[in-house]
Amino acid sequence: MIDVQLFFYFGIFLTIIGSLATAWGPGVNDPVVRVFNAEVASIGVSIILLSYNHVLALLTLVAASIIMSLILFRAIIRLEEMGADV
Amino acid sequence: MILVPTHVPEAFVSMYLPSIYAALIVGFIATMAIASKRREIHILILTDVVGFAMIMVVAAVGTDLAEALILPGLVVELAEIMAISEILLSREMHKIEANPHKKLKKSDSLLPMPFDFDLEIMHTSPNFIALLLIAYGIFLTGFTGGAVAGAGLIIYILSRKARGLPAITIAGLGGVSGISWCLWIIGFALLFLVPGYWLIGLLLAACGLLLKVASKIGLIGAIMKEDIDRE
Repeated sequence: MIDVQLFFYFGIFLTIIGSLATAWGPGVNDPVVRVFNAEVASIGVSIILLSYNHVLALLTLVAASIIMSLILFRAIIRLEEMGADV
Repeated sequence: MILVPTHVPEAFVSMYLPSIYAALIVGFIATMAIASKRREIHILILTDVVGFAMIMVVAAVGTDLAEALILPGLVVELAEIMAISEILLSREMHKIEANPHKKLKKSDSLLPMPFDFDLEIMHTSPNFIALLLIAYGIFLTGFTGGAVAGAGLIIYILSRKARGLPAITIAGLGGVSGISWCLWIIGFALLFLVPGYWLIGLLLAACGLLLKVASKIGLIGAIMKEDIDRE
């Protein structure tokens, strides 16, 4: 039987690593890479919510992070097509 | 001294401090990165990570109320990112239009290819499916019902030839949103002022939340429709 605490600390680890990667990780000058790195942190938060038994919050987080990354990709693509400095 | 309610499980109490410290670390990293960046789109992405720290702080409490408070936090964060990305786009557009050496291209969209296939099912089924989903959403009420009804609205908007969205529709959706907040607040206040009428308070809050979430998801569908219609 795997301990719940293990999942919890793994979630914390993933969140911190993901936020570090989003802030100063490799290749983050490209905004698309930055969005993908932010997804790692979002998976970590999902695992934390799972270990707290917050099912509704977990489902909402998954849906909201998908929609958020869609909105961010739309903004990035439009800015690049406009020729703006991204 | 930390006051812990008796119904919080022992495991969650021991997870409180690590979660709070991790949230502080994540928030610190993200805000430091925001402070050192100049370009707005990067700041917008890092705001997302600050939101994760906020969710971790709320989730660390570990009660049902904390779970219920995460949902509006996420929805507000989503709305904020939507609004700021729109503002950012229009600002860059104005900047480029002011510069006479650069030409603004008209062909910008979410999808790399034009999306104009014309299927039989897109004309015949949406009425029925959207009605079914909206009726089921109204039956469910609350957050889940809002999501189901909003999915019905998205299917209807995406598959019908509703090209563009008139200003009156957006204003109308905003009005529905305001009314639903009023319903929610009245229901919530009833729960505390006259606890005997808890059922009507609960129903008012649930219907308000249903209208709110459904109109939000419908707006997202309208934005996606604008992208898809461009050829």
